[in-house]
Parts: sequence; structure tokens; C-alpha cells
Amino acid sequence: MAVTASACGGSAGGDDGEVTLRMSWWGSDSRHQLTQELIDAFEAEHPGITIEPEFTGWDDYWDRLATSAAGNNIPDVMQQDTRYVREYADRDALLDLNEYIPGTLDTSKLDPSVTATGQVDGATYAIPTGINAYTVVTDPEIYQQAGMELPDDETWSWDEFIDTAAKLTRETPGGTYGTQNIGFVETGLEVFARQRGESLFDENDKLGVSDETLADWFRLILESSERKAEPRPSLTVETQAGGVDQSLLATNKGAMGTWWTNELPTLTGSAGHELTLLRFPGESQAEQPGMYFKPAMFWAASSRSEHPEEAATFINWLVNSPKAAQIQLSDRGLPINTELRERISDDLEAPDQQSAKFLEKIGTDLADPPALPPPGAGEVQDILLQINEQLLFGRLSADQAAQQFRDQASAAIG
Amino acid sequence: MRCAGLLVTEEPQAPSEGPPVTTRRTRRWPFRLNRPSLGESKVAYLFLTPWFLGLLLITLGPILASAYLSFTDYSLIGAPEWIGGDNYERMLSDPRFFQALKVTFTYVFVSVPLQLAFALVLALVLDKGVRGLAFYRSAYYLPSLLGASVAVAILWRQIFGSNGLINTALGSIGIEGLPGWVSTPDYALGTLIVLNVWTFGAPMVIFLAGLRQIPRMYYEAAAVDGAGRFRQFFTITLPLLSPIIFFNLVLQTISAFQTFTQSFIVSGGTGGPADSTLFYTLYLYQRGFGNFDMGYASALAWVLLLIVGGLTAVNFLASKYWVFYGDD
Repeated sequence: MAVTASACGGSAGGDDGEVTLRMSWWGSDSRHQLTQELIDAFEAEHPGITIEPEFTGWDDYWDRLATSAAGNNIPDVMQQDTRYVREYADRDALLDLNEYIPGTLDTSKLDPSVTATGQVDGATYAIPTGINAYTVVTDPEIYQQAGMELPDDETWSWDEFIDTAAKLTRETPGGTYGTQNIGFVETGLEVFARQRGESLFDENDKLGVSDETLADWFRLILESSERKAEPRPSLTVETQAGGVDQSLLATNKGAMGTWWTNELPTLTGSAGHELTLLRFPGESQAEQPGMYFKPAMFWAASSRSEHPEEAATFINWLVNSPKAAQIQLSDRGLPINTELRERISDDLEAPDQQSAKFLEKIGTDLADPPALPPPGAGEVQDILLQINEQLLFGRLSADQAAQQFRDQASAAIG
Repeated sequence: MRCAGLLVTEEPQAPSEGPPVTTRRTRRWPFRLNRPSLGESKVAYLFLTPWFLGLLLITLGPILASAYLSFTDYSLIGAPEWIGGDNYERMLSDPRFFQALKVTFTYVFVSVPLQLAFALVLALVLDKGVRGLAFYRSAYYLPSLLGASVAVAILWRQIFGSNGLINTALGSIGIEGLPGWVSTPDYALGTLIVLNVWTFGAPMVIFLAGLRQIPRMYYEAAAVDGAGRFRQFFTITLPLLSPIIFFNLVLQTISAFQTFTQSFIVSGGTGGPADSTLFYTLYLYQRGFGNFDMGYASALAWVLLLIVGGLTAVNFLASKYWVFYGDD
């Protein structure tokens, strides 16, 4: 505590000048408002520091960040994502925060296994904002409509998942489906691979998933489509493009879908009634648990920042200040600071409380999250999406899809 | 009308690309070359100055930079690294590059002729003196202004979606169970071609101007000689309009190659479904900004320039055989 205080005093008294930090994030309008509140609160506590906000939606964010990186002009503090941390860190664009730990930046209260995902070769390039888990979100009302019981998620297998979803489509009126396609996001494949003791990427930055696992994954997707567990491909493509808001769960047209826990409030809000979180199928038959706590997003600082000390101070405040936690609640995942996670739990909205309880329940069963994926991971996601579509429209067999994914993804991260 | 006039004076540039050996041209060519007086060229350059300034101050730097970057490995984040011709070589083994070429060429070769045919037919109809011509001209021109906009692309996605206007209309006459047009690989590109054809207004207005310049007396003389409507069209209208057709063809071909917004919006930036709308420029954008591959993206840009330049040259060469400049 004394160290932190002197560090703050030093920077404020040093040259007596006003320090301005640029900060960028992506998100929705509600996040923009929350973050502005965060900035105001921080500035009130740190009179010497002014924060200049820059915010956009997800897609524009990365175009913009890459372009400003080309001009050596990335913001002092930025929101980062698992897929992109190493793109920047490996090219020396991010500040190694180790120098400021534990003096300015206190990581002692942060969830250790998740915090480790911000590190590359011992250097700390990013601090997680909070935790998330990829789960099967389920609509109990549609199960009820079909006269079916919710599955037991502690025992259900992948076969059971497809059977259940196919039956749901059959037992409900037309236009209602068992599940939304689960093959568009790489995390589904990651969970599937981890259950078999593999991982999407290995520690040598190569693909860590075997041909057999890839082919089995694509077979599963194909089966889900062919057995009409999900809508027909063209509708699937449209639904996918609509994001969370237009998803089957949000529009009461599907009983299941794979989503991040921090998307539950949006899903619940649109669905208009309580949804249920389930574990991934296959967890009990698996070699090791496939599900994991994922850093929802990260805070990182620019290696070219003129005020690295202040940037670290700001990040420290964002993850450790009770005030910050109170403002953000679960917007950037459930707080990474475990004490604060407890403290705000009563203030959370119902769906977030539900997520928090779910994460607590499954937490004991989980293995450590995967390390940061290699540069090119963003492209691997694009490749998977494209191959998934080829597969759905019958342009590739499962084996061909596996082969193409391996070829293209290997080239992307090579 | 000004467009047509401008075109005729611009025309002498064309043969400079090939030896001026063909029949009609040779007679007119030296004659034309000496025509513009010093004062006239001064005025011409004066009018061109803003464009030249724009080129020099804004465009030239990035053009040269991209030429250099196309020979480097450049992630945007780090410094560019010289790798020689590797980027160009890499294209040969890049299946998505070929997919992008296929999509783009299909789009250009199908949509441009269709669009021009549509524009010409409507220009002919309007030229016959329809009541409320000004209204129709504006109404038909409107899509040209909107066609490349984000709003129309979004509208298109709705109209041709699974539960869009088209399927609803078809459903009401008993044709049901159709897939979404924009979201099925076999049809998605087709919907974008329809979108491009729909923006026929700009070439139509130019055609109209061209039709107005054809002297009425030709038609009167032809009618006296007993030529019917079709005969008149093929022997008078089409030859005298050929410079305008040529102008529209070159312009629309170039702009079709550069199509970006439509596929970006309709496919949500993916070029999907299953890469069926992966336009060349969209792929270039994905590589450069999505995949930290600006060196490769720059090389792609230069290849596109060569393709468009090459096709434009072919257009000009071929024009000798069908474009008639009406000297005698």
C-alpha cells in the first residue's frame, strides 16, 4: 500500500504536469456510458491524470487499432482480446507490465489461473478484466413446449445433445429449432479438443488438434444440420450474422445455443424470460474438462506510452478499485479480482447472478484456460467460419473440411 | 450532354496506345491532333489542375508506398521487411485469391453488359418523348446514387433474406420453402448482380444525352428510304451511339471491379456464405486490416490494378473495330 501511494505521489509531484492518457475500447452504447463513468471516477481520484476516451464497435476497433499501430500511435491503455494480444505483444507494441508489479499494479487478488493467460514467456502484456465461460444457454420454455425435460448436464454426451436438439425441432411447431449451429466460433472446437486432451493451439504455436478430432467435430456439425437439430443452412447463416440480438434464443425460436456467460443478460432481456446455463455436452465422458474460464477481455498498455507508470496506475485502478467494480459490475466479465467478485455479487442483475453462481458451481471442475493463441488466431477464426459454411452447404465433407482447416489454419499461424 | 462532348475531344488519346492504322481513324487522326490551339490546351490543363493536385498531394504518396509495401512482409504493427516477390508468388497457391478472382470476374462480366443493356433500352424509351420525362429520368437515376450505399445494401439483405420481401411475395402465390437468396452460396452473388443492374441510372442518363445528339435528319432520310425501326436502330442509332456505349462500358467495368460496400454489408464482411461473395477488394481488405497482412494486401492491390489496366487496354484496342466516331 505504501508503495502504491508513493508511486502515485511521485508521478504527480515529478514534473507537476498534467498527464493525459488515451484509452480505447470496443463495445455497445451501455459500455460506452459505463466506461465514461469509470473515467470520471478515476479522474476524480487522480487529479493529475486526464483520460481521453476512444471507442467503437468490435470490427472497427481492430481496423483502427492496427492502423494506429502503423502510425506508432496506439492508445496508452487499450481493451484487448485473446485473439489479438499476441499480434501486438509479439511485435513489441505492448508494454511489459512486470516492471510495475506489484508496486503500481497489484495482481495479488486477481484470479491466478486466468491472470496467467495475459503472460507470454514470463512477461505480462495484458491483465484480464474479468472472467467468462462458454456454455450451452438453454430456454426451458421451449423444452416445456415440446413436453421434454431439461437434460442432465453433468452426464450428457454429444450424441445426446444432437438427439435432444433434433427431437426438440420435431416436437415443437415449425420455425422453432433445437439449437443454433455451434460451429461458427472457434471456442466450441477448442472445448471439444480439450475434452480429448488436445487443444486448438499447442505450446509451440502450431495447431494442437488432431485430424481425427477435427473430422469428428465437423461430422458433429454436419449431423446437427442433417438431422434438423438446427435451421436450414441459409437461415443459419442469416441468424449468425444477426449476432446475439437476432439469435434463436433471443427471438424464442430455438431451445439452445452456445454463448458466453456475459451474453446472458442480453439473451435473457430479448427472450423475455429466464434462461438456463448448462455445461457443454461430453464433459463427463471427457479425458479432461473442456470448458474453462476465459478472460473476457484484457487491459493492456502501449509500449510507446510516454506515461507507462500512469497507464499501470490506471489499469490497477480498473481491476482493483471497489468503485470501478461497482460501476462495471459484469460488463467486462465477472471481476477478475476475486474479492471484488464476491463483494458485488449482490448488486448484480438476476442473469448475472445466475452466471456468477454457474461459474462458481463449475469452477471446481475446470482445468486451466489455454495460453494466448499465436498471432494469426484472428484469421483462424475467419477460416473456421468459412469452412463451417462450406460444410453446411454440402461443398465439403467432414474429412475435407478437416484437411482444409488444417492447411489454411497452419498457413495463417505459420 | 457535356459528357458526350467531352468524350469526343478526349478520343484522340485512344489511338496513341496502338499504331493508328485502321481505316476511318487515319483520315481523321492527324487532322484532329493539330486542332487544339495553345489557348485551348491551357484551359484544359486549368480544368485538370484540381485533379492533378489531388493526385500529387493525396494519392501519389500512398500509391508509391503500396508499391514498396507489396514487396515486404508488413503487419502494420512492426516495421516492413523486404521479402522480394514472395507476396506475388504466394498468390499462386492461395485458393481464396482465385476464389476472389472468380467471384469478381463473374460479377463484372455478367452485371456490366446487363446493366448497360438495361440502361440503353430505357434511354431509348425515354428518348421517344415520354410525358414527365424529367420525373422518370430522376426516378431511374436515383438507384445510381443509392446503389453503393450502406443503407441499400442492408435493405438488399432484408429483401432477399429467408423471410424477406421476395420470399414473402412468392409465398403468397403458393411458392413456399425457399431458402434465403443472400444466404445461399448459389444465389448470393446473383442478388448482388441484380443490385448492380438496378443502378443503371448513371449510364442511362449518359445514353440519353448521346441519343439527343444524333441528328433527326438521319432518321428522316432513313424513313424516306423505307428503313423500319429496327433497321434505323442498327444502322443509325447504334453506330452513332457507339462512342457513348464505349465510354459507359469502360467506366462501368472499372467501377464493377472496385465493388466493395455491397458484399461487405450483405455478407457481414465475411464474403460468405462459403466465400460466394468474396469480392477481390473485400479479400484485399480482409488481408490488410483483418489479418495483419498489409504487404500481401498491397500486392493484391497492384495485381488488381494490372488486371483493370489490362482489360481497359483491351477495351480500347477492341474499340477500333466497333466504335464509330462519325466523321463521314
